[in-house]
Amino acid sequence: MAEKTSTRQDAARRTPLTSSHVGSRLWVLLAAAWLVPGAGHLWLGRRQKGVTFLLTLPIMFAIGLSLNGRLFPFHPPEPLVALAALATVGMGLLNMLARLSGMGAGDVTAVTWEYGNAFMIVAGLLNMLVVLDAFDIAEGRK
Amino acid sequence: MTSHLGLMSLFALLVSIVFATLMRDDPREQLRFGGKLLAGFVGLGVTAGWLLYLLPL
Repeated sequence: MAEKTSTRQDAARRTPLTSSHVGSRLWVLLAAAWLVPGAGHLWLGRRQKGVTFLLTLPIMFAIGLSLNGRLFPFHPPEPLVALAALATVGMGLLNMLARLSGMGAGDVTAVTWEYGNAFMIVAGLLNMLVVLDAFDIAEGRK
Repeated sequence: MTSHLGLMSLFALLVSIVFATLMRDDPREQLRFGGKLLAGFVGLGVTAGWLLYLLPL
């Protein structure tokens, strides 16, 4: 028990977000973590994890694009399409840039189309998990 | 690269890296856990592929 408490205190000491910062800065941290994968961990001093996410998730998203995957539009009448669109939103800035630059049109006849979709959707979902992990660290839970 | 096995292995590798980094703090533990995840993903993928191959269409 005492060991667990001291571990939590150590984590809190490593974490720049103290209770006085919680609030608006926490939201800025979460927004940064969402927009740029790994930015939240880098902000909180978890350099190794931050760099790993910063490299892995954009690579995964880029591979999905290069495999002719599609960035699905929000189309609520088709729930699976809308859910796929929601998942890719998890990639933050990269998703916005790809959409704005006209990438991600997808090619349904390409043999790699399904794989491309899977890479991009999962990259977005994994970044959502990364944002939640950054939230837990900021709250002193990890 | 357009082979199913190659793309599935690449996908499994990237997902394993992210999960291992999320769930373990020590780099050595991350490597060990990531290796297990990768082996599990690829092994289960190949096994499931063969099981589905045996099913009649």
